[in-house]
Amino acid sequence: MYLSPLLFIALPLAAAFFTVLLGVRLRVLGYILASVSAITLLLASLYASYFVQHLPSHIFIYKVGGWMPPLGITLVFDALSTIMLVVVNLISLMAGLYSLRYIERYTDSWKFYSLFLLMIAGLNGVIISGDLFNLYVFLEVASLSAYALVAFGTEAQDLEASFKYAVMGALASLLILLGIAFLYSYVSTLNMAEIAFVLSGKPQGLLVYFVIMLFLAGFGLKAAMVPFHAWLPDAHPSAPAPISAMLSGVVIKTLGVYVLARIIFNVFGMSQKALLVLMVLGTLSMVVGALMAITQRDIKRMLAYSSISQMGYILFALGIGTPLAVIGALFHLINHAVAKSLLFFNSGAVEYSTHTRDMDSLGGLNKRMPVTAATSFIGSLSIAGLPPLAGFWSKLLIIIAAVQAGHLAMALVAVIVSIITLVYYLKFQNQTFFGALRGTLDKVKEAPLSMNIAAVILALICVGAGLLLVPSMRPILERAADVLMLGSGYKDVVMGGVR
Amino acid sequence: MDLRSFFKIDFLNSFVIFAIAVFSILIILYSTKFMKGMARLRGYYLWVIITGLAAMATASADNLIVLLVFWGFLGLSLYILIGMGGDKASPAAKKAFIIVGGSDALMILGIGLVYTLSGTFNISEIRLELNNYLGITAFICFAVAALAKAGLMPFHSWIPDCAEVAPIPVTAFLPASLDKLLGIYLLARLTLNLFVTTTAINIIIMLMGAFTIIAAVMMALVQHDMKRLLGYHAVSQVGYMVLGIGTGNPIGIAGGMFHMLNNVIYKSCLFLTSGNVEYRMKTTELDKLGGLAKLMPITYISCLIASLSISGIPPFNGFASKWMIYQGVITQFSAASLAMRVTGVVCLLIAMFGSALTLASFMKLIHATYLGQQKNNQSVREVSWTMWLPCVILAVFCVLFGVFAMQLPLRFLILPILGGVDFMGTWYSGLATGLILIALGFGWLLIRIIGSKQKVREDSMFAGGEFITTEENRVSGTEFYNTVKDYGLLPQIYKEAGAGDFDIYEQGKKLLFGASVKLRHLHNGVLPTYMVWCLLGAIILFLWCVR
Repeated sequence: MYLSPLLFIALPLAAAFFTVLLGVRLRVLGYILASVSAITLLLASLYASYFVQHLPSHIFIYKVGGWMPPLGITLVFDALSTIMLVVVNLISLMAGLYSLRYIERYTDSWKFYSLFLLMIAGLNGVIISGDLFNLYVFLEVASLSAYALVAFGTEAQDLEASFKYAVMGALASLLILLGIAFLYSYVSTLNMAEIAFVLSGKPQGLLVYFVIMLFLAGFGLKAAMVPFHAWLPDAHPSAPAPISAMLSGVVIKTLGVYVLARIIFNVFGMSQKALLVLMVLGTLSMVVGALMAITQRDIKRMLAYSSISQMGYILFALGIGTPLAVIGALFHLINHAVAKSLLFFNSGAVEYSTHTRDMDSLGGLNKRMPVTAATSFIGSLSIAGLPPLAGFWSKLLIIIAAVQAGHLAMALVAVIVSIITLVYYLKFQNQTFFGALRGTLDKVKEAPLSMNIAAVILALICVGAGLLLVPSMRPILERAADVLMLGSGYKDVVMGGVR
Repeated sequence: MDLRSFFKIDFLNSFVIFAIAVFSILIILYSTKFMKGMARLRGYYLWVIITGLAAMATASADNLIVLLVFWGFLGLSLYILIGMGGDKASPAAKKAFIIVGGSDALMILGIGLVYTLSGTFNISEIRLELNNYLGITAFICFAVAALAKAGLMPFHSWIPDCAEVAPIPVTAFLPASLDKLLGIYLLARLTLNLFVTTTAINIIIMLMGAFTIIAAVMMALVQHDMKRLLGYHAVSQVGYMVLGIGTGNPIGIAGGMFHMLNNVIYKSCLFLTSGNVEYRMKTTELDKLGGLAKLMPITYISCLIASLSISGIPPFNGFASKWMIYQGVITQFSAASLAMRVTGVVCLLIAMFGSALTLASFMKLIHATYLGQQKNNQSVREVSWTMWLPCVILAVFCVLFGVFAMQLPLRFLILPILGGVDFMGTWYSGLATGLILIALGFGWLLIRIIGSKQKVREDSMFAGGEFITTEENRVSGTEFYNTVKDYGLLPQIYKEAGAGDFDIYEQGKKLLFGASVKLRHLHNGVLPTYMVWCLLGAIILFLWCVR
């Protein structure tokens, strides 16, 4: 690679540092640094993805300081991690663009930007680090900045939500750290490939299962898997809209699903018990999230429950564990990241213009906010799985994969949940954007241009992302899925890449 | 990847595509006047055209995924076009989209099963036996999608709602034409191509069809809004088509397909004439109408022909296709299984009775709208040609397809699908038409001769020392059949139907919201509770892992 992979971590960290240092005096600096680094990171991640796709081995290992593992730290770029980098940096660029005007409502925007940049550094770090301890450190960086950002509004409910999030997040970190410690005691290494190597030579004793359980619970908490989901409906709505978009769009996916998939598939070699847990809890998440979403009145709260439900689909598909299902899971992850970020942007626009998120006191907004109405309609239908929008294709893959693998009952549940999803998104659309315009909303104006641009770009992706399945584009997803389907063969690829 | 491999034209879908094209043009012609002055007019025409194209693509698809994509997309266009009816239409639009879109989601499951069983998405390569539960589940998934689109009970409830609030051209276009064509087309594909049906499946389909015929027509009898009444007939007629296709024998299937085509013709005609009435009178409440026959003669004649057609009066097209369906059902009297023979008898009786009730309810509609005493509407004129021409064209088709049933539609459109069809006996529609015309002429002469001898004196009504105006004391016809509401068990049933107890949408809503409220009690916002969940979850996971 012609650029240092350390860029993904160092650039946002440095930008955050300078924002803190100089942002009080130079108010505009935070925004400039955030946008410059977000644009750079998106371009860099696209380049990294392109680069890895065209390597013969589809993997690139960067040894920090030239030290060989297990002594040194490795950063792993493969088809899966680069695709995650693209998603994360795309959404963070959009969130940055969106924040330009949105964040004016708060004081001290430099604090916002520095926390935002820290979160990006943490997410990028989690995605590319090749050993568990660094992964844990970056996970904490991302989580701590997320706790602070949820409380950014400093209203009573924001603080309460942040407190709940912090307590439950700390529990998650504790479980994860405990798991890492136990695992280290058993295999004497922290590099993930090395762990897989050592584990394949040792019997899978009780300790290994205990560690798997700790990881499932810990990362399950981060991924908002039922019954570990309860923090999310409070935390996500309380954050400023661009942060809600980041949290629902990429944070739960990176810290939860991505890491969980890496560990269960690549470190523990597709442990069947763990996959079954993912499948069952994924189905449960789908149902609980969807059922909770239909009676919500607060737009963002409804979206938050919907995130739980859609995360259920992703976890369920991972749990099926066939190549088609894993492609479906990754594709659904991308589609949901885009669509849900879009919807949180829209909810932010509605709140920006009308000062309320209560669906019961809204109505007929499509006459005053046409761009917001149109983009949110596309986002809603994409998540509800309407052809030919992106969400339809991933749902189709997941359900077909489930049927093929013989999980007919769960496939039926997935279908029924998708009907319920349509129900609550149409309810949201009808109560907010369609129907008669309320008199109190007569003077409402469309959201500012920069917010609309971010929404329109994401809406276009929702419309066009189905193209990722045409034969010439499909390898991008297939190779990413192949990384997971390697199972514990991953260690050989990594070790081959190191030498 | 060759795009051509995704589509295939054969006899079954070519006439469906042709019908879609014709109806799209007629509806656009009609809309030019009717929709004038509506907001977002360009969007309306755009969506009508997109819908027409998507419907053609659906019908010509030879790949299940392609079929699903366009099929699902039509749910969206249904939502958007109904939503054009303004602010009051959005709940009905939502209901339609949820029922239709929800059934599409089931189709995904069906496709997954079919792919697992057959290993291909190509419709022309699939032929599955219904001898295992996987195949049966797949069939049910597809059938639900097809029937929800066509509007068979219990997936019908969106049609009357939509008919009431959506713009008339939209109702005539989607629920009355395109959705019927596609729904029944898919059902025919399922039974003819994709699956080999069994007797049990046929019996179930036939019974569902028969039930729909009678239940929907009973609901239609007591309606007092013209559009809603027509909406229930749109449901009831689906019953005949499904009954025909459910018989599984060539003549029944041909009859079902033919009836689908005929139904689309006369039902669009009926909706469009009701649109003419609404355009002039600004209402479709039967109570407020009356005596329009003289004022809007073209509309009246078209509506009369379509009404006679839908009631199955020879020589119109509705009779021709219903007669074929009856033949299909009668063929089942000699079926091997006793259950099928019994079903055949029951269905035939219900279908005939339903036909009689259809006639009855259209007598009410014709009387209340066009005959009866007038209200103050002397200023009403006939509508402009862009609005009456589509009605007249459709009415002419009603006559043509009835009188020349064998020579035109059956020969060119329907019979090639099935190869050969054996008719029971022979029905000379030309001769019959001639006889009917002679009889009518004879009757007319008789009335002239006898009628001219009697002297009738017309005078104002006088009671209790006051003159009573016709305005106060007219017979609007709305209450013709209200007495059925008092008969036997029916009052209870009508009451429950009115409350939405038989509406799958209302019941589903109740169930979901009930479950949601229960779950909300668990999410009480107390942090320690949530921590306990996490702890319990972790413990259960651990027990599972060490098991």
